[in-house]
This record gives sequence, C-alpha cells and structure tokens, in this order.
Amino acid sequence: MELIGIWVAALLTLCIYSFLYRDNPFYRFAEHLFVGLSVGYGIVLTFHQGFIPFAWNPLQEAVTKQEWVGLVRLIPIGIGGLFFARLVPSQGWLIRYPIAILIGVGSGLAIPNVMRADIFEQVHGTLAPFAQIHAGELGPFQIFGVVLMLIGVISTLTYFFFSVEHRGVVGGVSKIGIVFLMIGFGSAFGNTVMGRVSLLIQRVDFLLHDWLHLI
Amino acid sequence: MIEKLMNIDRRIVFILVALAVIIPSLLEVSFPITVSQPTRSTYDYIEALPPGSTVMIGFNYGPSSLAELHPMAKAVIYHCFQKQIRVIGMTLLAEAATLGDNMLKDVAAEAGAVYGQDYAYLGFRPGATQVLLGMGTAIDSVFEADYAGTSLTEIPLMADVTNYEQVDLVLDLASGSSTEWWITYTNTRYNQQIAAGVTGVIVSQMYPYLQTKQLIGLMPGLLGAAEYEKLIDRPAKGTEGMSIQSFAHLLVVGLVILGNITFFIQRRQGE
Amino acid sequence: MRRQVPLILCFAFGIVMALTEFSPHPFSQWLNEEIIDWTLVIGPFALVLAVATLVQSHWTRIRRRSEYWQYSFLVFIGMAAMVLIGIPLGQRHEAFVWLFRYAQVPMDATMFSLLAFFIASAAYRAFRARTLEATLLLAAALIVMIGNAPVGDLIWNTIIPFEDNLPSTARQWILDNPNLSARRGIILGISLGVISQSIRIILGIERSYLGGVEGD
Repeated sequence: MELIGIWVAALLTLCIYSFLYRDNPFYRFAEHLFVGLSVGYGIVLTFHQGFIPFAWNPLQEAVTKQEWVGLVRLIPIGIGGLFFARLVPSQGWLIRYPIAILIGVGSGLAIPNVMRADIFEQVHGTLAPFAQIHAGELGPFQIFGVVLMLIGVISTLTYFFFSVEHRGVVGGVSKIGIVFLMIGFGSAFGNTVMGRVSLLIQRVDFLLHDWLHLI
Repeated sequence: MIEKLMNIDRRIVFILVALAVIIPSLLEVSFPITVSQPTRSTYDYIEALPPGSTVMIGFNYGPSSLAELHPMAKAVIYHCFQKQIRVIGMTLLAEAATLGDNMLKDVAAEAGAVYGQDYAYLGFRPGATQVLLGMGTAIDSVFEADYAGTSLTEIPLMADVTNYEQVDLVLDLASGSSTEWWITYTNTRYNQQIAAGVTGVIVSQMYPYLQTKQLIGLMPGLLGAAEYEKLIDRPAKGTEGMSIQSFAHLLVVGLVILGNITFFIQRRQGE
Repeated sequence: MRRQVPLILCFAFGIVMALTEFSPHPFSQWLNEEIIDWTLVIGPFALVLAVATLVQSHWTRIRRRSEYWQYSFLVFIGMAAMVLIGIPLGQRHEAFVWLFRYAQVPMDATMFSLLAFFIASAAYRAFRARTLEATLLLAAALIVMIGNAPVGDLIWNTIIPFEDNLPSTARQWILDNPNLSARRGIILGISLGVISQSIRIILGIERSYLGGVEGD
C-alpha cells in the first residue's frame, strides 16, 4: 500500500505542478479533489474530536448514569443545533442565536486579554529599557537600539493615525514611520521567500528521494 | 536585448527556480549553519529543564507548512526525549491532527520513548481560544481522552499534569495566528512560558513578543530547524534543506539585481 | 425575536465574560468557566455552515452547468470518501490516514510550493528601486535573504577577513530593531482596533455579524 501511496502522491504532485505551464484538466482534477478531501477530513475530525466529546459523550453519560444535572448540556447543544437552521431557508435567521453568543463571548474575552497582552505589555516593552539606561546597564549600541525602537513605534503609530492631516511635524514623523514599515515589510518578504522555497525543497525531496530514489 | 530581458517568459524563471533546487538536491551540498539568538534561547531553556519536566507542543500547522515545521518539531521532540523531558502534543487545527500523531510516534520510535510515560498526544479540539482557556482550569475538561480515545485517567503521564501549572514550557509550532492566541490567553492569564517555531511568512511579526519576553524563544521556519539540529548535533532535513535553500536565495537575489539593472538601463534610454 | 434577541444575547455574554475576567470571586470564575464550556459545545456546530455553503455552491455549479461544472463532482467524491471512511472507522483508521497522507498532504504541500515559483517571478518583474521607500524595502529583503542562507555567511567569511558572519548578524539586527518597531506599531494599532470593535459589538453598535439571512 505504501508503494501505491507514493505513486499516487507523486502523480498528484505532478498534476498540481502542471499549472506552472498553464491551467489544464490535470490541475483542475487535483484542485477539486483536494478541496473535497480537505473538507471531508475537517468534517471527520470535528465529528470525532468535537461533537463526540463535547456534545454526545456528556449527554450519553447523563442519560446512562442517570446524572440529570448533566442534561444542562442540552442547552448549549440545542443552541449549537440552531446552526442546522441554515439548511431550512425560511428559518435561516435562527443561526443568529449561536453566532451572537460566540461573538459576544469572543469579544468579551478579547477586551481584557488583548489589552494586557498587546497594549500594556508592548508599551511596557518599549519604555522599560529606558530604566535600564538610567541604571547604566546598557552599552552605547544597546542605547541606540532602545531610542531607535521608541522612534520607530511612535512614527509607525503616527503613520496609522488618520484623524490628523499628515502635514508639518505629523507629516514628517509619519514619513519616518514609512521608513520603518518598509524595512519591516522587506524583512517579511525575505523570510517569505525562505518559507516558500522550503516548501518546494520538500516536494523536490519527495519526488527525487521517496519516489524516484535518485538521492 | 533589454526589452527581451524585461519581458522574459515567466516559465523561464520557473525553470531556473526548479534547477536551483533540483541540482543542489542531487549534489547533496552542505554549508555550515550559524545559530541565531532566538533559536539558542529556546534550546537553552529546554536544556536547562530537569528530567521529568513537561513540555507541551502545539502542532498548529497543516500539510502546507509541514516542510518548514516538521523538521523543527522532530529536532525539538528528540531533544526533549534525550533529556527525559515529557512531551504532551495537541493541536488547535483539525488538519494538523494526523501530522502531530505521526510525528510523535516516529520520533518516539527513534528515541525509544514510551507512550503514556514519556509522551502523550491529546489530538484536536475545535474552539481555539476557548480550548486554551479551558486547559488553564483543567486539561481534562477539554481533552477527557487522548487522540486514540484512551481516557486521560488511564495515562500515567497525565496523572500529575492537570493544567498549565505543571507544564514547564509550551512550544507552539505555528503557520497562523495560534502563537498570538497562546500569548494573549495563556501567557497573560496563566503566566505560562511560551516559545514558538513559526513559518518564514509570519516570523517577522513575532519579534515584538520576543523582546517583551512573552516569547522566551523563536525559531524561524526551516532555518530554525537547521539551527536546532546544529545545537543538538543531529543534522537532518533542516540542515539539508537550508544548504539547498542557499542556491534558491542566490537566484532570487540575482533576479532582483538583474531586474533592477535592466530597469535602470531602460529608464536611462527613455530619458 | 430575529434581531433583538441575538443583540441581547451578544451583550449579555460579552459583558459577563469581560467582567468575570477581572473578578477572582469563585462564583465569577465558575461562571466564566461554564460559559467557556458552553462555547466549546456550540462551536463545532458551526461546521454545518461551512459544509452547507460549499455543497450549495458546487451543487449550483452542477445545476447551472457553469464552466468546468464536471469537476464539482470531484469535490463531492473526495468529501464522501473521507466522511464514509472516517466517520464509522475513526480518524486513526489506516484507510483514512492513507488518504490523508498520500492524497491530501501532497496536494496541499505542492499547492503552496507553487508560490516559490511565483514569488521568484514577481521579484524579477516587480521588485524595483523606483523610490526611496521601495529601495529600503528591497535592501531589507536582500539582506534578510542573504542572511538567512547559510551560504551568505560562508561567502562573506571567505572573501572578507573581518566581522565574521556579518550577513546573518545584519539580518538579525534588522529583525530585532527596525522590524520590531514597525511590527509593534502595527500590533498596537490592531489591538486598539480589536478592543474598540469588541466594545461596539457588545453594545450592539456593530451589527454586521447578524447579516441578511434568508427568512429575515
């Protein structure tokens, strides 16, 4: 089965690579099959690792062990079941109930946690090193880095501050922000090249090593 | 000539890219790796953990990113087993469930680790942030059984790991936003130490968290894998891949330079 | 019923979650954990939405005989194969893992590896030092690319006898300094946006999630 598997994988790999020449039936075959398999995989995993442990097992346990308190779980199961209303066009509005709860909970959780993790901690990380400068713990090159970081954060934020027209001092500071952003995006591009080439290397390794046994 | 160079068929560039990867693969070239500080920090942290410590690994990447993160996962898990550090695997991403299961089994077989004692694989649960928060209260409130369906009460390793308090490090191997979720919902709320190994595409955006120590270490894609392999002195796919990668990078750099030279010559001719 | 109840639910659950996050009282903690458990139960059902939308769009393509409609059958075949094996036999069954390993994984991995070709082609065609900003972007990208490649340090150390490993050091400096500042600015901006949007959602000012569904 493994040998057949490797041949199937190799042929499907080549089907996808045929797109590099131009769009063609082999590519479309693989592309559509891939979509179907991925969705099927997602359904199976969500069923076995989501529905069964979170909904079915507690319910079954409550019934078989006569633990009627466990039937409280019927409430969220019922609310989740409203997603099936999507299949009945006239009752489609019912899916708003579970969506509203999920969005409400997500928003409620985000406010305090995002504030702490992404605002307080990040502002602290920008300003705390100045205490180290004051205590004489940093060398000249590190002090340069700390000052550069502060300039970078303020100027980048200024660039994204659209409530004031970008003229005069604000315009100048936001231009410095663009410099930092461009260097940031450039470094992201450099790393992205590495990421994408890594994927190609792995596929070439599969074709040359696992399939053709050339290396 | 310049015009021709500017409008070269893109398929010629494709062939050059393919050759830049295929030829070095066949020649099996190898270059020395320089280890960066963020990768070394991850290694140092794990190296300093006493035997019997617990590392939780989040396999939060799908098949599209396994080329970058599988070698990294392999190196870190091997290091943990070597140090007799226990590993608990899990994922927040459905498509990573099988990958994580196979990876742990493969490395355990190589290192002679025993399921249930040295490692466990909890599998996948949908709900991302709620899963992370739920595990903060009790891991078995979210994962009452492992990926194979064995109750956590029957897994010896899980007997004394009830929530994050008994987890010494979370290593998130990510191709998406999961590292930010771990930081926002477990580092901030439960003070959980977190390290990350991420794809090249997202590594740049992780640096602010590294400076604030919200991440204790960071490994960048295949390069991170190669660096970690060097640190544990076990060169494998990461080291091989980065040597081949060098040629592709030189090609892209060459293409950018060539593109700019032709652009400036054409602009001068236009003037 | 159709708009007011969801708005009330969103408000109630949002406020409770935000407040219980701050309170260490046992009842507050219990409520927080119980609601998290509820959402864990509700969440998986959302899959119905995704599957229904996909099936509907491909079924419509087949019915209307849209361009390449025949391929939509492949979507159903792939999905049915996974579901018919995986649901009764489990996610660890050999046949299910075989399909994942030898069909889904290679196609997914190959699909994304195509980007290596397109990114090289785009770099050749579009990466031009037209302005100062574009030049900075280009220079940072080149330094990071050379610093990432082990051959970068090797060439430097062979040709230039001082400052060993300068390419990887320069790459690391860029990531640790200007990149960090820019990213932090972006994180702060996004986080402020997330918080203000969350408040708007809880207060019912932002209602786009209610959508305009059939039967409204």
